[in-house]
Amino acid sequence: MSVYVRQVGTIVWKDLLLELRTKERIATMGAFAVLAGVLFNFSTDTSLVRPQDIAAGLIWMTLVFDGLLGVGRTFHLESEDGALQGVLMSPAPKDAIFLGKTISNFALLYVVALLVLGVFMLFFGLEIGSSPLAVLLALALGSLGFVALGTLFAAVSSGTRLGETVLPILVFPLLVPMVIYGAGATGRLLAGRPVAEVAGNLRMLGAFALVALGAGAALFRFVVED
Amino acid sequence: MSIAGIRRAGIFFAVLGLLGLGVVYWLSFFWVSTEAAQGIAQRIFYVHPPAAWTSFLAFGIAALTSAMYLWLRDERLDWAALSAAEGGMVFGSIMLITGPLWGKIAWGTYWTWEPRLTLTLLLWFIFLGYFMVRRTTDNPDQGKRYSAVVAIVGALLIPFIHLSVVWFRSLHPEPVVIKPEGPTLPGDMLTLLLTSVGVFTTLFLGLFMLRYALEGLRHELHVRARRAAA
Repeated sequence: MSVYVRQVGTIVWKDLLLELRTKERIATMGAFAVLAGVLFNFSTDTSLVRPQDIAAGLIWMTLVFDGLLGVGRTFHLESEDGALQGVLMSPAPKDAIFLGKTISNFALLYVVALLVLGVFMLFFGLEIGSSPLAVLLALALGSLGFVALGTLFAAVSSGTRLGETVLPILVFPLLVPMVIYGAGATGRLLAGRPVAEVAGNLRMLGAFALVALGAGAALFRFVVED
Repeated sequence: MSIAGIRRAGIFFAVLGLLGLGVVYWLSFFWVSTEAAQGIAQRIFYVHPPAAWTSFLAFGIAALTSAMYLWLRDERLDWAALSAAEGGMVFGSIMLITGPLWGKIAWGTYWTWEPRLTLTLLLWFIFLGYFMVRRTTDNPDQGKRYSAVVAIVGALLIPFIHLSVVWFRSLHPEPVVIKPEGPTLPGDMLTLLLTSVGVFTTLFLGLFMLRYALEGLRHELHVRARRAAA
């Protein structure tokens, strides 16, 4: 067991180190978050709708698009210089590689999710509500489910000639529960409703993340086998 | 059963299904009583739910055979998954076209986020992804594995998707056939609906077997061409 944890940890460490040194994905995703906030602000007619009414949905949509941008490139660098073969041939089981990649993607996306939240609070003049921890939890659970599916299908799409362009078609239909429960919970919490009102949403987000993680860990080896 | 035998059975069921479809159309226009509230437009009822049922059945078979393919690696399971998935797309498309047509008359709007309509739309797109990854790999075996993964993940998450959409909103009439107190549909309407479900299922079975036989013949051709070359 401890070997397994160490194998997962090694992948996470390697990916995060690579990201910290190149800063490629975090830079593009961060810039995307701010610029999407700018465009969404100008796409809103404030004489027709109150910005805070639609902000929660926009936060989640920004997270989804931004996440695809970053998660879609999970295997890009490694497959370009052939390092992915080396990782796959290492004694680490395929599900450990998947979990490692998913955790490092999660760390990346969660940082971006916090940035997205901050950007929208600033641009749309939102208050965090009475339970900021619940907002952070909703974003964490949603991001976890998203990266689990995103990492699995990034491996699929990087093996096709279509590349990342096919990723939204594979992932969007499956993200319906994440958007419904995530945006629902965030909207209510930002509007100052009590946590009890969104406890069901949070549980469903958690269950969704668990199923996505389990499916990804079980099926990843069929995607990367030769 | 041999490929030729499956092909013959496929032709039999497909012809039987097409004849049955003619009978269902005839009965739904000239025999069944007209529904009081919706009038003649309600007759689309004998096409829409059977198409929906058949597409769910087909996608279910596709997901199941996909999982078995990844497990057993028998090419025939992949042919079955592909054939069922194509059938699901066809009947899903029929459901998605007849739904809005009926919805415009019954509810006054072409599209509602009714859970079962939404479910079919999302399944349709999940399987669009299934075909896209399948056809864009350089190595066909890779495409088979990719598409199987797409079908399995889709099948695992469909309950969540459906639950969340139901939770989000529901406008649809309550189910009228399978209820604890028994069907509330008038006798002749129920008879025709169940007949139509049987006919659609038979037609799907025929098309499924024909498509499977086609895939088998392609494989045979491939094997023979390779043998001739060697």
